[in-house]
Amino acid sequence: MSSIPLKQTAITSYPKFIGRALWLATEGSFAFYAWMTVLTAVFLVGANAWANQVAGGMITTNMTDHVSWGLYIANFTFCVGLAAGGVMMVIPAYLYDDEEMHKVVIIGEAVAIAAIVMCTLNVVVDLGRPDRFWHLIPGIGKFNWPMSMLTWDVIVLNGYLLINLHVVGYLLYMRYLGRKPNGWWYLPFVFLSIFWAISIHTVTAFLYCGLGGRPFWNSALLAPRFLASAFVSGPAFIILVMRVLRLTTGYTAPASPARTLIQIIRVAMTINLLMLVSEVFTVIYTGSAHAAPLNYLFFGDHGKSGLVPWIWTAIGMNLVGTALFFTPAALERSHVRILACLLVIVGIWIEKGMGLIVPGFIPSTLHEIVEYSPSLLEWKVVAGIWGLGLIILTLSLKLIVNVFTGRMHTDEPTT
Amino acid sequence: MPRIASLFFAVLLCLFASMALAALWQSGMRANTPTNSAAEPQVSQATVHSNEAHPVIIRKPSGPPRIELAGRDPQGRTASVACSTCHSVRQANLENKTAATLDEFHQGMTFNHGNITCYACHNPNEPDALRLADGSSVAYENVMTLCSQCHSKQAESFAHGAHGGMNGHWDLSRGPQMKNNCIDCHDPHVPKYPKMIVGFKPKDRFNEPSNSEHQQEGTAAHDKH
Amino acid sequence: MTNTEPNNTQQAESSAKRSLPIVENFTRRAVVKGGFATLGAAAFVAAVSPLRQAAKSTTAVEFMQQHYTELSPEQKADVIARLEAETKEKYGADVTIADDRPIPGTKFVYAINLSVCNGNGKCVEACHKENNHDRSTNQSYIRVIEMPKGTMDMEKGSTTYSGIVPKDDKFYLPVQCQQCDEPPCVDVCPVKATWKEEDGIVVVDYNWCIGCRYCEAACPYHARRFNWKQPEVPAEEINPDQSYLSNRVRPVGVVEKCTYCLHRTRRGKLPACLEACPTGARVFGNILDKNSNIRWILENKRVYILKEELGTKPAFFYYFD
Repeated sequence: MSSIPLKQTAITSYPKFIGRALWLATEGSFAFYAWMTVLTAVFLVGANAWANQVAGGMITTNMTDHVSWGLYIANFTFCVGLAAGGVMMVIPAYLYDDEEMHKVVIIGEAVAIAAIVMCTLNVVVDLGRPDRFWHLIPGIGKFNWPMSMLTWDVIVLNGYLLINLHVVGYLLYMRYLGRKPNGWWYLPFVFLSIFWAISIHTVTAFLYCGLGGRPFWNSALLAPRFLASAFVSGPAFIILVMRVLRLTTGYTAPASPARTLIQIIRVAMTINLLMLVSEVFTVIYTGSAHAAPLNYLFFGDHGKSGLVPWIWTAIGMNLVGTALFFTPAALERSHVRILACLLVIVGIWIEKGMGLIVPGFIPSTLHEIVEYSPSLLEWKVVAGIWGLGLIILTLSLKLIVNVFTGRMHTDEPTT
Repeated sequence: MPRIASLFFAVLLCLFASMALAALWQSGMRANTPTNSAAEPQVSQATVHSNEAHPVIIRKPSGPPRIELAGRDPQGRTASVACSTCHSVRQANLENKTAATLDEFHQGMTFNHGNITCYACHNPNEPDALRLADGSSVAYENVMTLCSQCHSKQAESFAHGAHGGMNGHWDLSRGPQMKNNCIDCHDPHVPKYPKMIVGFKPKDRFNEPSNSEHQQEGTAAHDKH
Repeated sequence: MTNTEPNNTQQAESSAKRSLPIVENFTRRAVVKGGFATLGAAAFVAAVSPLRQAAKSTTAVEFMQQHYTELSPEQKADVIARLEAETKEKYGADVTIADDRPIPGTKFVYAINLSVCNGNGKCVEACHKENNHDRSTNQSYIRVIEMPKGTMDMEKGSTTYSGIVPKDDKFYLPVQCQQCDEPPCVDVCPVKATWKEEDGIVVVDYNWCIGCRYCEAACPYHARRFNWKQPEVPAEEINPDQSYLSNRVRPVGVVEKCTYCLHRTRRGKLPACLEACPTGARVFGNILDKNSNIRWILENKRVYILKEELGTKPAFFYYFD
């Protein structure tokens, strides 16, 4: 009709961007379809389990008035750490101008997005009255800010999600359009995300360590420990993601980002272990009544020792994983690296989750020992949450790869 | 894009954000003060005491105990005897301390109230009354006076509602308060408060009693199974 | 014009041979994808279908209900009427739910004489009955710890004792909500569903609580209970004398706690646990009244509080005589 090309506006091109993203999100090999089907099935099982929990009351979990937080909050704590871990890519890339890291930092941000979504879901499934979620909205409900640390957590987690969504979305959209990203639109948010990532995990730690009635948590070292373990589990997860990307899409990241991450993991894990030793020494050497939760966790108390196998497995995995990280083989693209990552991820999940949240409640504040092990329903719900998180991660990584390899590119003339 | 400029921007943003948050905090703290309090709590006698219309009712025994006689008279009536029926015609043994020496009446009565004699409290001159240490007579209805003579600490606590429990109202301007008599809980001859059996236990999930509890009697230990 | 007409006719004829536009624009691949997406959506709806059953137990009016402190008297009356009707429907009992406000010039304080308490648990039972607690779990706001004489360390104590009390070498420590002056539970609630009222009682708006249980984690005295399921109370056992902030039958998924029986104490009566105590170990009253029993206790007995180092400033005192 007209020979003058239509001026490209965001109104026309952005929906196309989303549309194409969705289309390509459902394109892939048979392995991809199988993976997504499995994840969807797991997610549906989890969703059904949660619906049953809402219908039947939380008696369907194994939580009690003595151990009133369990697997959901344990998983929440770990996922916040995963989300914060992305900052260990942002700092080298943007503060230290690591060019190679620059190429893969968006992977860390995609992991952060998926992790934050999982965090929010973990909290929602833990609510006794999820239908009253609107009570949290400032203005409409009653938001007990700044007194309640949970309100801080709501702010920082949602803020971090928005920051990462914006940065990733903007960079991908610009790449899709073939335009150079305008620094003012994303760099301030990237720098903000550095401070913000530290804050999300510090606030989560403050949730626990501010409670005087829970001496196991009421330690100044809790927030630093959270950060240290986050800077191990986050980067380890990202290394695994990059390996999966190489195996499935053929995209090979440069060798140095992973090496940088492993150096970071080495330091952070050492600090984490040191802090663990410090906590154990302080409690055991003093020998006060406050040693009861730690005694229960590591050795059992009054004949009850449900968590002992958990924590020693975690300690073992963490130690072996750390040792593996310190080998030269870990700096190469080897199986050693992958094994080490898997070991510390699982080890930290246990140590931070079941090994931190549950012992905070055992013994109870009246020193009763009521044990907790998650019910099948709780495992299903958490599996479902992980399923959804991995779906989101897979789709965002797919989008990233598609855009960065040029497979997804606008066909309109760029201005 | 200079890195420093971005860092500067981020710091500025944080500064402004913290200022805004601090402002919100101040308004939040003000909002936290109770706005719907009817009145500031003050030390006030007026609301509680001057309208005191209701009494503190202390239970009293109805009188000296009477002994029911066995059998009935030809008209089918039962009868009871007062203490003075026998004791006004008998010599009082002022040194007796135990029921074991008695061969008529008061058989099998247990006595465990210190090393005092029967007539430390009972009145040999007035069998239907009691007596204080100085010999003055005390009616059975006023037995608390006798108890208070030696147990003044408990009596003082009782007067201040700290011994013996109560029913009814803490606010006497709205209703009465009922208190027990000493002997409602303490048998004067064996005053030690009796042991009880735990009848009601909460059944907290996963909170079974430890194994040593199995040696105990009681329904609660069995409920766990 | 005439030249284009045959062309148009030809085009029209050839387009008649083609399929509908909607089929034209969608490839087979798109149809397959759409089909699976629909299947997935249907599977999701089926998976979360139990939510529909849960939705039945709540109403739109209840969903929209504002915070207790922001209800006008008319709104409160509506809420209370609705709750009374719901109790009748769910439990078959006619109840009266009042809105008991604090008496001006009162601050409630409780004290227990540990030399007298023999651990019989009648207070636990009285609380269970007075506050319409779940019957199957024998729930109560009070827990009694059997402590060995000579120590205050709860680590040495036990709540699962039974049998004949008191045992010779033990003393008994009943613990319930301490109505702290600096309550950690009030600080941590994200939605202000729990707050401290003027007479010192820390209350919960059961229709505002979102059930996050942060308060239960924060309380150092195991004072709070969560309704893991709908409480089960037979109609004939329900205490019909109820109050909005205290002993009305609570919904599932919310936190509750001892309210010093405010439905009794704010009407000048004694709390149920005190009335039930057979040994007379409990003392309750208004600390602002200098002639009250509790004032005498605090001035004349050597009272102490639990976990003083936590700075919670409880309104609950213990003493030995």
